[in-house]
Amino acid sequence: MARAFTRKGERFVARLDDDERGVVVWLLEQTRELLAPELREPTGDPFDDLVARMGLPRLKEEGDLADEIPAAPRDPALERLLPSAHRQDPALAAEFRRLTEHGLRERKAANLATAISALMDPEGDKVRLDQEQAQAMVVALTDARLLLGERLGLRTDEDSEALQDRLEAASEEDPQLYLAAYYDFLTWLQESLIQALMGR
Amino acid sequence: MSIAPAELSQADIEQDVSVDRPWITLVWNDPVNLMSYVTYVFQTYFGYSLEKAERLMLDVHQKGKAVVSNGPREKMERDTEAMQGYGLWATLQRDD
Repeated sequence: MARAFTRKGERFVARLDDDERGVVVWLLEQTRELLAPELREPTGDPFDDLVARMGLPRLKEEGDLADEIPAAPRDPALERLLPSAHRQDPALAAEFRRLTEHGLRERKAANLATAISALMDPEGDKVRLDQEQAQAMVVALTDARLLLGERLGLRTDEDSEALQDRLEAASEEDPQLYLAAYYDFLTWLQESLIQALMGR
Repeated sequence: MSIAPAELSQADIEQDVSVDRPWITLVWNDPVNLMSYVTYVFQTYFGYSLEKAERLMLDVHQKGKAVVSNGPREKMERDTEAMQGYGLWATLQRDD
């Protein structure tokens, strides 16, 4: 039976068995996969490669089909994890995205990796985090919950409240019951870690 | 090899003649982020007191959004990026 995070001296400690850790790791890995910046094959041209690494759009060449093929629609979960930063000005929103998206994705992916490593290295059933790992974990749990929340169609506070009823009804016909249970578990785990980080 | 400078958007031009008008960073309500977490982020990133962080969090929750910082555009861009890094739904705009 899982035990939530509590502060023990300089460490944040939770008790999670193999299955529970496995589920959390899996959810964090799914989130990292969605967020990790796309790996681009080196082109051999040092400048092109530099531009690619900076996350800037590649310079278009004449006859480039990119103009004619509409971009695949973005996963709505990605839209929630990296929302438009300007509600009134699409040009500024696009510029902000161009300048920040690659870095944000890299940092979120690195953060998820830190949290995953910590979960993969328990002492028995105990997950022990130092301050830095705890800060990474609390953000990683947020990103995973944002992804799950999007998949569960949570759009309003009422949707979140209704989730509890859905869990209590526990209908076998609800195809998203597992997702709802995972979401609930991550919420419980995250809340305990926040309280411990805030010294409550 | 060189790259032509990007065209200045209308907003950039206006920015130059109205440097006194500050920009703001907004955080919007969403159904996923926990009230405790939003408070924790405002305390951790901005260094706000618990009282101020909780007041802003309640504004986000009850009014749908809150202005969490204001100042020059570059600073608001950094704040927005940081809030998005924490998974909060942040945007920036000119204060009006």
